[in-house]
Amino acid sequence: MGEIETLTHTFQEFLPAVSIINDADELRNYGIDGLLPLMVSNPTTINEAAQVVSLVNKQDLTIMARGGGSQINLGGIPNRLDVMLDTRHLDQLLEHEAPDLTCHIEAGMTLAALQKQLAEKGQRLSLDPPNADQATLGGILSSNAYGPKRLRYGTARDLVIGLRVIQANGEITRSGGKVVKNVAGYDLNKLYIGSLGTLGIIVEANFKLHPIPQAERTMLLTYTNATDVMHSVIEIQNSLLIPSALELIDPKAANDLNDFFGIPLPSDGYTLAVNFEGSQAAIERQLEETELIARKHHVLIGDDIGDAAQDAFWEAIREHTQGTVTCKAAILVSQVAPYLQFVEQVCRRHELEASVIAHAGNGILYIDLRPGDATPRLVEAIIALRQRAHEARGSLIVECCPADLKRRISVWGLPGSDFFLMQRLKNQFDPKGTFVRGRFVGGL
Amino acid sequence: MSITELPPNETKPLYERLSAAKKTKVVQALSQAIGEKYVLHHPYDLMLYEYDASIDRSTPDIVVIPANANEVSEIVKIARGNQVPVVPRGAGTGLSGGAIPVYGGIIVVFTRMNRILEVDYENHFAVIQPGLVNLHLSNALTPHGFYYVPDPSSQRSCTIGGNVGENAGGPHTLIYGVTTNHTLGLELVTPDGTIVEVGGAVQDHPGYDLTGLVIGSEGTLCIVTKIIVRIVPISEAVKTLVAVFDSMDDASNAVSEIIAGGIIPSAIEMMDQLLLQAVEADMHAGYPLDAAAVLLMEAEGLKEDVQVQVEQIVQISRKNHARTVRIAANETERQLLWAGRKNAFGAIGRISPEFYVQDGVVPRTRLPYVLRRIAEIGEQYDLRIGNVFHAGDGNLHPLILFDSQHPGEVARVRQAGHDILAVCAEVGGSITGEHGVGIEKQEEMALIFNEIDLKTMQQVREAWNPQQLFNPGKLFPIPGRCADVKQLDNAK
Repeated sequence: MGEIETLTHTFQEFLPAVSIINDADELRNYGIDGLLPLMVSNPTTINEAAQVVSLVNKQDLTIMARGGGSQINLGGIPNRLDVMLDTRHLDQLLEHEAPDLTCHIEAGMTLAALQKQLAEKGQRLSLDPPNADQATLGGILSSNAYGPKRLRYGTARDLVIGLRVIQANGEITRSGGKVVKNVAGYDLNKLYIGSLGTLGIIVEANFKLHPIPQAERTMLLTYTNATDVMHSVIEIQNSLLIPSALELIDPKAANDLNDFFGIPLPSDGYTLAVNFEGSQAAIERQLEETELIARKHHVLIGDDIGDAAQDAFWEAIREHTQGTVTCKAAILVSQVAPYLQFVEQVCRRHELEASVIAHAGNGILYIDLRPGDATPRLVEAIIALRQRAHEARGSLIVECCPADLKRRISVWGLPGSDFFLMQRLKNQFDPKGTFVRGRFVGGL
Repeated sequence: MSITELPPNETKPLYERLSAAKKTKVVQALSQAIGEKYVLHHPYDLMLYEYDASIDRSTPDIVVIPANANEVSEIVKIARGNQVPVVPRGAGTGLSGGAIPVYGGIIVVFTRMNRILEVDYENHFAVIQPGLVNLHLSNALTPHGFYYVPDPSSQRSCTIGGNVGENAGGPHTLIYGVTTNHTLGLELVTPDGTIVEVGGAVQDHPGYDLTGLVIGSEGTLCIVTKIIVRIVPISEAVKTLVAVFDSMDDASNAVSEIIAGGIIPSAIEMMDQLLLQAVEADMHAGYPLDAAAVLLMEAEGLKEDVQVQVEQIVQISRKNHARTVRIAANETERQLLWAGRKNAFGAIGRISPEFYVQDGVVPRTRLPYVLRRIAEIGEQYDLRIGNVFHAGDGNLHPLILFDSQHPGEVARVRQAGHDILAVCAEVGGSITGEHGVGIEKQEEMALIFNEIDLKTMQQVREAWNPQQLFNPGKLFPIPGRCADVKQLDNAK
């Protein structure tokens, strides 16, 4: 018998009730960096999911969870992938305690489905990562995905109040709870979020929610250079204004938004998009004051958008952070403008093009490098950009890229001096390496 | 605060008390490493460090006062080489026994590491040493229009290192979050003496969120020697309101309704009659003496939003039968109201020789029920219980008044505290919102976490501090002691 047959047999024997996919054609839909799992398991309850993990663990196999697959290519190439656990049938909103502004969900639920249900009671989860229709909350949490509104609301690490997680041995554990303030024991929520499934599989989560704001508007400001944009950003952040997002769009990215999404942005300058949410009166005043600040820093044109145009704009911004080869640099806000100049230099030197969108108020840049198949030049450029990010007290990861490039460069960069602490955690939580290794920092 | 000794520990202790000979040897090594002047070991000097603001106490063998991370590392290496436990201590304002050296050993005090190393107003962070007093940071930032958000009531004395250890909160964390939401990075010393940085000034770091894991670990994983915190501009407008109620139910319903209405003020604090009387006797802050409960609320942000929030809060308070709703007329009045609230624990001294404070959290909608149950528990054990707490977060602080001179009272107080936490757990809450587990709530961890949950958490300590060199015997239930609680339960 082949590997797949043996595995199928084992699963059918021990877990006959759990549906599986082992058809070679169907498995192709579950590929990751060209690697196919031997089998996909589709549990319909959390207990079933835990039994699957337990079986995999006992059989000395490896497993990774998959939600909507929108971030499936994040990270290094898996060392070995036996079973993929599809969480999408675990998709219930277990509780929406609206008067408490909290909710409790199963992790296979998509973000869009959750938002739709929360909106019925005038609330939302204040996370805006790309692909809300496809991305599940489990995937969002394990990759710590976020979007432009991170500026005001933080990341999942600020919004999750409790998790249930399947451990490597198949046991289900809880961390945190359903109340908004809780310091009982170690804050394992923080550890699981962004750990890319290397410590456990997140199957349930409790969130803090926000009321849907009364109104929302976005101001689009175009400048001749990034320095003026960033001076405006810093002045806005040091003022009384409370923007929800501050997004920088460079000329190439503006061009892309034009071409692919029909968003009319001037493609001969740098655009700053400033988003405000709240009461109408407060928004009006903030728009006025933003304009004053922008004028002080030589803005060329300003416009404000609302309603459908605004929704389409932010949707396009979120999607644009996912190119063929997209690097994500995290640096100090004050370093963004000089870093952008450096990106241009590097691209000239290596005959590449970059299109950049930045969560400017967070110092987070999405650098889309092209052409995506110029592997040797891309490798050189990424090394140079990473080096510079380190010098600016930051880091650079390769968010999306073809498997070919992953073989040539570390997606996460070299592990830092704190890596031994991470290794010790991984060894405690998953001593047998049940959760697929190779994808996360340092191969964890 | 009190004179109660730790309950006897039935399991084999993790560490034996230091012998005189070994103590001399360790003192010598430490003196060589950081200077004789900074190594305290005479009983008279040590007495200061045998307690914190909880009701437990235990005397250390040695107290060291290092000047920098390298010295901390040297201390740790000496401790490790001699198998002596190490407990880091901030200002000793902790309320759960986190700084109590259960097995004696070395206490590391950070009074010499209290500097602000860097402030970056463009990038909104400050790098500070752990011994810095919380309020001193905000005081240094205020002239520049900035502040540091977490504001525990003890902020005039507590240190930010201690805040990191406990993941401290405070009245104004309702909208802005607690210590963990305002910490970007840390420098740590591990049990083998390695100095390592986790996180940092930028907002993303590849790898596990070790900063988030360390915050609130109560000194049981590593010793923090440097902290990078977020700083934020001071809001444009602040309005402080006091709503006066004739029943606790009305006051708690108002809290629920405010939150449910999607209004998130920067603070909603509740004080009941017992506390109002204590505060007024102490401070004359302007609170009514005959009210059943008072809500102290604050709206903060842009002036347009504050205006709207204040109107909504007033309306909801009136609807829930507030007798009066008063808006602080000026900054002096506002400061006085807050001083009354923040000194509430101290003011208890006016009406009781001692108090024991709990820190349970409940879903905000369950406040009326839980407050009634707390009153019942007070009656059951014949103890006076006052309430002053962060109502907006559902974070209760029932204060159980007692006098340890009365035989048997301490045991009743402990049991009443346990029962209150059991009620919090029963409604889906937590046993601690900001004070930490420490020694006092070790058994109560089992009220909200099962064995597997607890085992999973202990894997972290196993990974980083396997010998429990740092702050041993804390955080998790100790098998031997659970029996005591059960016996008491049966005796009821």
